[in-house]
Amino acid sequence: MASEALRPDLASGRRRLSLAWVGTLPFFAYTLLFLFLPAGEVMVGAFKGVHRGWTLSNIRLLFHEPYIHAYRTSIEVSLVTALIGGAVGLAIAYAAIREGTPRWIRSILTTFSGVAANFGGIPLAFAFIATLGTIGVVTQILKNQLHIDLYAHGFTLFGKTGVEIVYIYFQLPLMILVIAPAIDGLKREWREAASNLGASPYQFWRYVGLPVLMPSILGAVILLFGNAFAAYATAYGLTSGVVPLVPLVIGAYYTGNVLSNPHFAQALALGMFVVLAVMMLIYIPLQRRAARWAR
Amino acid sequence: MEDYEAQELEFWRKLDEEGMSRSQMLKRSVAAAAGLTVLSSPGIAWARERGIRVSPPLKGSSISMSELVAQAKKEKHLNTIALPPDWANYGQIMSTFQKKYGISITNSNPDGSSAEENQAVQSLKGDSRAPDAVDDGPAFAIAGTAQGLFTRYFVTEFSTIPRAMKDTRGYWTGDYWGAISIGYNSNLVSPGPKTWKDLLNPAYKSKVALNGSPLTSGSAVAGVFSAALANGGSLNNVQPGVDFFAQLKSSGNFIPVQSTPSTVASGQTPISIDWDYLNLGYVKEYPAANWKVVIPSDGVYGAYYCQAINATAPHPWSARLWEEFLYSDQGQLLWLKGYSHPARFQDLAARKVIPASLLSALPAASIYAKVKFASSGQQTAAKALIASSWPSKVGA
Amino acid sequence: MKPRRFMAPSAFVWLLLGGAYFFIPLLATLLFSLKSIQTGKCCTLSAYGWVIHNGDFWHTIKLSFLLALETIVISLVLFVPTIYLVHLKVPRLRPVIAFLALIPFVVPPIVMVVGLLDFYRGSPTWFYDQPWGFLVAAYVILAFPYMFFSLDAGFRAIDVHTLTEASQSLGASWLTTLFKVILPNIRVAALAGSFLALAIVMGEFTIANLAQFHTFPIFLQYVNETQAYRPAALTLLSFGITWAAMLGLLFVGRGRGARPTLLAGGR
Repeated sequence: MASEALRPDLASGRRRLSLAWVGTLPFFAYTLLFLFLPAGEVMVGAFKGVHRGWTLSNIRLLFHEPYIHAYRTSIEVSLVTALIGGAVGLAIAYAAIREGTPRWIRSILTTFSGVAANFGGIPLAFAFIATLGTIGVVTQILKNQLHIDLYAHGFTLFGKTGVEIVYIYFQLPLMILVIAPAIDGLKREWREAASNLGASPYQFWRYVGLPVLMPSILGAVILLFGNAFAAYATAYGLTSGVVPLVPLVIGAYYTGNVLSNPHFAQALALGMFVVLAVMMLIYIPLQRRAARWAR
Repeated sequence: MEDYEAQELEFWRKLDEEGMSRSQMLKRSVAAAAGLTVLSSPGIAWARERGIRVSPPLKGSSISMSELVAQAKKEKHLNTIALPPDWANYGQIMSTFQKKYGISITNSNPDGSSAEENQAVQSLKGDSRAPDAVDDGPAFAIAGTAQGLFTRYFVTEFSTIPRAMKDTRGYWTGDYWGAISIGYNSNLVSPGPKTWKDLLNPAYKSKVALNGSPLTSGSAVAGVFSAALANGGSLNNVQPGVDFFAQLKSSGNFIPVQSTPSTVASGQTPISIDWDYLNLGYVKEYPAANWKVVIPSDGVYGAYYCQAINATAPHPWSARLWEEFLYSDQGQLLWLKGYSHPARFQDLAARKVIPASLLSALPAASIYAKVKFASSGQQTAAKALIASSWPSKVGA
Repeated sequence: MKPRRFMAPSAFVWLLLGGAYFFIPLLATLLFSLKSIQTGKCCTLSAYGWVIHNGDFWHTIKLSFLLALETIVISLVLFVPTIYLVHLKVPRLRPVIAFLALIPFVVPPIVMVVGLLDFYRGSPTWFYDQPWGFLVAAYVILAFPYMFFSLDAGFRAIDVHTLTEASQSLGASWLTTLFKVILPNIRVAALAGSFLALAIVMGEFTIANLAQFHTFPIFLQYVNETQAYRPAALTLLSFGITWAAMLGLLFVGRGRGARPTLLAGGR
């Protein structure tokens, strides 16, 4: 009886199924009230003109420079930091959780990651300026002690690469936090069994470890992408908007001291929504494929 | 034609455009009549007789100061917004006001932009947290007026404010102005720059910064204006200004870091193009940086900010008292102490009430005499040009 | 293969690299915070003194912490049963919710707050005028993506069906199953989500700003824009305090609830 109740695909009756839907009602009600309504305003507002009436001109403008360039840059920065943050975060999380590593390292890493994952804005930008800026601590040490002049070699913190370096500071911890529970699910016995069968670490990861973790990794990478895509304050604090990123352009048109075109800002936000929707459309089949082994 | 005259015409045209139908007209007339009836109700009539005011006045001159203070004290409170304490001495202005009248001030969002100020007026309409008065850039003061955010009020000293700095209908009034200056850390920068041309000196590699990006910061837009004036442009054409910054960037002198007190003190932005009142403030605040300030002689550009009262202010009497205070000699001199030029500067100078110490702390008056202000039409055109030209020329 | 006694060398390398990357910028901030305003050189604690003696600092950090706690509780109460139900009975809803979880990223906070302020203007003052009502409602939405993906990873790592079946066949009610069996097993994921929610509330600026609430990030931003050297001290102090709060949360989470069951393969 109990097993029938839990497998809705068995002929147990629609009553059980509808109860489950009801259980999700509070959640959907909450998201309707506090998420859909402001989000809806964005979607609708994108089609409004400066004077009354509907228009597609805001949307059309998105495809012109410099806005399309902003989207390209935003997507590139988000993708790079999501992939690097994802890979390195996975490695660090695994290093902290795996056998042999003292438990206190994991506690420190998890709690630190909690703080660092939301360390952003001007404090983070300034921390990196103080480190790798033109007169930063590391820059000075490299120049004076090791005679490597970073800035003479074309490196600059205040460009796209700099933004990526700084973004990783909050992408890494986010990955660590989100993937840790999944790594917990990677049973020690599997690693033992694999090595008993003569598999090398590489083979373990290729055939056991990564496939098991892949659905969670994909979910985490999407989260990282969205996180970087929406980040605003850090990039502004670092480059004052010289690196064109979509949230910065939105901010300029919505709350700046100079430009003001709220409907165009909403169109830009709609564009962001489309990009993320496309990401999700790529993610869903990938994730389904990755989770195949669990069926 | 002045901008606000153009705006007034626009206002009447829009009203026409609305094309009121007959029934609408009738409804409005009935409402108006009902309103008149309410106004002539016994209670209100009685209040009028006793000289008890129920609504705040339109003109500061029509009411005695003591009565204004008494009414404001009843409200006990004032909400301000976007007033950084170290910006043109607002900190001392607010504390002096609080001490003098015993009215406490809640200053929210000290770093807010003009857009955020107007947004707060709209979003918090009817809420007790709404700002009572705003300090907007002129474009936003004009836009806010068109949106009906502000109410009319003529401070007592209204006539002594220059014509170019106020809305004749009384919706907003210019409060202080400043000019774009070049501030530099004389420990790290030698020789010191004096003009815009000087900034191209290769010795200033990675040293020149703006206070933000001209896409979001009013100070940076003013910087572009000033650069334009110095490089063959004009108030109507700021392209040479954008081109100059492009040149600065390609030569490696420009760093896109926003100059803040931290970057000034640390030396990360050893040359900062910013408002004179901000740069002059750094001289005393950060003695270690040996900060010096010059107004570039080849491009003297100035801009002012505007005071306006929220039409649905939660504390309308306090708001008017605040305006009276700001435009009194005392308030104006406090702004001068903050290194900015108050709106009534000419009047104060003519009446010789300015202490010599305050005057000597500022750069020479002869430089300021050359200052140019852009009209709101010129500003709008410049911003549009910057929005389209800056990202490709100076952006990454 | 006998259990490892010492850290694997590759683990050591990764942790070292990670540690260096995380700590060097903080070290640079520390060096900067010790400089004096008068001389521009080391070393003085005056910046820290200024922060600690600042009433606004304590007032706002206390407020933000309480808001964070409230956000965490409401988020867990709202999301854990939902995601549990979805994993258990309605797996088809999972991609739908995952998609919804991305929307908060797309609606810029500035747009969200304007929409919320407009829509809820007529609502009662105990909700609209108080950070405990209006602000927390928005923060739960902001924390939603992080909470969802954390909890989702957690639920994935355990065998929900088997656990529930076992618990129910032993006669436990739904509530008992949820609290005594499921919750301890997703403790790690719930904690991760809670950490992220705490960090979000301690760092959220735009919504609090436009709704005119006086939270800690507002104070932080103001100091950053108007002071020198003190922002560095403030940054480190708030970093340290938030980290301590997380450690506290970790111990609270560890103390409560039963040990993870064998089925979950806990370490």
